[in-house]
Amino acid sequence: MWILSILPDAAIHIIFGLGILGTIAGFVLGFIPLVKTYKLAIQVISLLVLVFGVYLEGGLADYKTWELRVKEMEAKIAHSETKSSEKNIEIQEKIVEKTKVIREKGRDIIQYVDKEIVKKEEVIKYIENCPVPKDVIDTLNKAAEKGDKK
Amino acid sequence: MKYLLLLLLLAGCSTTVPVVQKFPNATPELMKSCENLKKVEGDKVAITEMLKVIVYNYSLYYECSTKVDGWQDWYNEQKKIFESVK
Repeated sequence: MWILSILPDAAIHIIFGLGILGTIAGFVLGFIPLVKTYKLAIQVISLLVLVFGVYLEGGLADYKTWELRVKEMEAKIAHSETKSSEKNIEIQEKIVEKTKVIREKGRDIIQYVDKEIVKKEEVIKYIENCPVPKDVIDTLNKAAEKGDKK
Repeated sequence: MKYLLLLLLLAGCSTTVPVVQKFPNATPELMKSCENLKKVEGDKVAITEMLKVIVYNYSLYYECSTKVDGWQDWYNEQKKIFESVK
């Protein structure tokens, strides 16, 4: 109800209060001369004001309930955002650590090839006598290329 | 009087209160693309040189596979968090 965002809570209570007072005045205090003169007008107007007041009070109560739910939801979202960034940090650390281990392992094996494998007599003989054919290299390089559509 | 009646009739119109849940940010490491595989360079290549390139490419594969695992992990975790907000 947009009207609730314009009217302060106090105004709604005042409208409702005036409605009650007017209705009492119109229906009970009819013996007072001034009230007696405008009795019908007071009754009609105060009943209208009372109906509007009850309507606004109901709306206000509903609005307050929703406002509470919105605040609850906002708190839940804030909590989920914190949780989400915590998980991101956790995942980031896990990936960085795993990548480090993979790179170290690759580097170690390459160093092992440079230091140990190339020194083996069997390998030295193989390198001297059997160079890798160009076709084999080309095929391997082709396989390493991305298979993008052209 | 006409305007007052209109005001009373429109008093019940609702207004929406936006509670927006932001799309979660991805882990920066996951946003990095996988490197291209290394190629063997030169015409006369020793088998040990070729072996080193193959070993290096294996490492690249595992690095990339770690990222895929990371994305799956990220998705599952973010889904759990998203579904917990109800």
